[in-house]
Amino acid sequence: MTAALPGIPEEEFVAPGHRACAGCGCILAMRYVLKALGKNIIVSMATGCMEVVTTPYPETSWRVPWIHSAFENAAATASGVSAGLKAMGKKGVKSVAIAGDGGTADIGLQALSGMVERGDNVLFICYDNEAYQNTGIQRSGATPFGAWTTTTPIGKVKRGEDRPKKDIPAIIAAHGAPYVATASVAYPLDFIKKLQKAAAIEGPTYIHVHAPCTPGWRIENNKTIEVSRLAVLTGAWVLYEIEDGKFKLTFKPPKRRPVAEYLKLQGRFRHLTDEEIAEIQRMVDEQCRRFGIE
Amino acid sequence: MRQVLTGNEVAALGAKLARVNVIAAYPITPQTAVVEKLAEFVADGELDAEFMKVESEHSALSACIGASAVGARAFTATSSQGLMLMSEMLFIAAGLRLPIVVANANRALSAPLNIWCDQQDSLAVRDSGCVQIYCEDNQEVLDSIIQAYRVAEELLLPVMVCYDGFILSHTAEPVEVPEQAEVDKFLPPYKHPHPLDPDKPVTMGPMGVPEYYEEFRCMLQQAMCAAEEKLVGVDREFGKRFGRRYGLLERYRSDDADVLLLTAGSLSSSAKELIDRYRKRGERVGLVKIRAYRPFPAEELVEALGHAKAVAVLEKDISLGWAGALFTDVSAAFVNVKKAPLIMDFICGLGGRDVSQLQIREALRAAARAAETGEVRRPVHWLGLREKIVGLGV
Amino acid sequence: MNKCTGCGMCWLFCPDTAISKDKPAVVDYRYCKGCGICANECPFKAITMVTEEGR
Repeated sequence: MTAALPGIPEEEFVAPGHRACAGCGCILAMRYVLKALGKNIIVSMATGCMEVVTTPYPETSWRVPWIHSAFENAAATASGVSAGLKAMGKKGVKSVAIAGDGGTADIGLQALSGMVERGDNVLFICYDNEAYQNTGIQRSGATPFGAWTTTTPIGKVKRGEDRPKKDIPAIIAAHGAPYVATASVAYPLDFIKKLQKAAAIEGPTYIHVHAPCTPGWRIENNKTIEVSRLAVLTGAWVLYEIEDGKFKLTFKPPKRRPVAEYLKLQGRFRHLTDEEIAEIQRMVDEQCRRFGIE
Repeated sequence: MRQVLTGNEVAALGAKLARVNVIAAYPITPQTAVVEKLAEFVADGELDAEFMKVESEHSALSACIGASAVGARAFTATSSQGLMLMSEMLFIAAGLRLPIVVANANRALSAPLNIWCDQQDSLAVRDSGCVQIYCEDNQEVLDSIIQAYRVAEELLLPVMVCYDGFILSHTAEPVEVPEQAEVDKFLPPYKHPHPLDPDKPVTMGPMGVPEYYEEFRCMLQQAMCAAEEKLVGVDREFGKRFGRRYGLLERYRSDDADVLLLTAGSLSSSAKELIDRYRKRGERVGLVKIRAYRPFPAEELVEALGHAKAVAVLEKDISLGWAGALFTDVSAAFVNVKKAPLIMDFICGLGGRDVSQLQIREALRAAARAAETGEVRRPVHWLGLREKIVGLGV
Repeated sequence: MNKCTGCGMCWLFCPDTAISKDKPAVVDYRYCKGCGICANECPFKAITMVTEEGR
């Protein structure tokens, strides 16, 4: 191995051979999560793409202890892991919950809220591919405005997702969690630093990572990182931290690019008219204003 | 030491004596005092455990699953709607082979909303893969919770201990409380064979593809069947140490009876009183009480009931569209047996409706008539209905 | 692979851990799914995607 990329741990804890799609952004996120956190963790994962592609019995990709129980309860299972470790006096092992946007923002929200409200010592990571991808691309509360999904199809009367994206980091920050952050698979060093920071905190922490789905977003397999990068460079996805209630932008895109550059690479936005793109640009502009990006 | 305690209090005490170290439970009538009592034990430092203030029953059992998977002894309690919300995780806890004990205060199911006793809730989840024990009195509740951890941990199966809501949960009875030191000798610390541990990583709860799923379920069934022997053995050992034994069934004056009642739970006590009265009059009646319902003790039941002419099943549940669960299971046990009694189903006590001696007598009489005539015209009856529902012939 | 500088970007962005952080980078074809992220992200255009034929 070369000495390049010294900030990225070399050891792999997610074994290859998993059944993720070619170009999957989410499994890349998993790779980064485990590089950042190392071996002394216990992962509680929700039902979803990552759970299914990594554990077809009798195979597993996980080189760390890992449990899947159900879809809506990654946070509750992880809270139980944390309580169990505490009860047994086991120190130095971190309980980590991982769920997709479905298992976080929608069906998983109650358990996550409970975990944060109780102050449980769990790092919760949401890998956000912006729909229920594992069941075939149905919309979630995290599906962005205008996107095609199978349950927000482009028809004569309705055209794509008509609701804005649910702001989960804000919800978790409002619970008073000590650390909340957003991340992107196109910025792995930033993601890894945030993971390590969150893991070191005793208490409920939350990281929300943007991770493309090649079939779900209708992008070419080789464009995963390019699309994620453009999301950040256009301000459609903002990288920030909220530490003890204090907001801090962790990346400010220089000369913010028009959101059309991000949208046009994705088939799920192919149907948008110029007017609709302008509407999305307005929403992105408003979001950037809120976050302090020109 | 002898104390006067309610069913909820003994459920909490049983968990305390079992030295559970993670409690995750959500309050619901009529179980609330279990959660409150455990919170008090922990707050006073009497029980060294993590008391998790979970936000729902689904999260309660999910948290127990996480805790049990790392090797902690986990406990939860619930009832009725809470059990229904938790039910997804019951099946999963069984499939994951985690030895969690669930105390269930039996309560009716909505709709309509009803907080009072019947056994619909736990019987609705009889397929889950949890061992199910039904208790007749508070002493049995206390003892069963302690026994439950032995059974659960030696088989790696969740165990549900059921006791009637309000009738037992809120009624104070004298109970013999075992000494902690004696319980410690009976119940060693929990050791999962392969817990979640970074030093020896395992994957729990993988995707069970069609090539393997059936085998997993068969293995779970084998564990459930092995639970019968385990229940007997643990109960026998408990009896030796503490002087109280329960078995899978109880046979009450049944060996020479022509007509038998079949009951579960606190109703057994009331029914036994009627049996005594009938026996005084020289009638050959008796009662069999089911304690272990899952695994279903089919062989023992056939042996205990087979000689009778008629059996009246008294049960506080109904599988809507057919008959009660107990009746259905008992009938199946006899389906290929040559010498089988006539079996009748009496649905009673739903939603906390009192099951009077008059109602039980009605059931006994109907069974006696069947025994005489050799015929059962209608297998399913409802006792104590307020008024006849016209046209339905219920 | 003669343009490869061993920068590690391909290794970093491979979802399947199928390319090494070496100079030159080495592909493990047991796990490579041919997504092409490596080729797309390589700052030196040192990777060419070749379509698999006749299998």
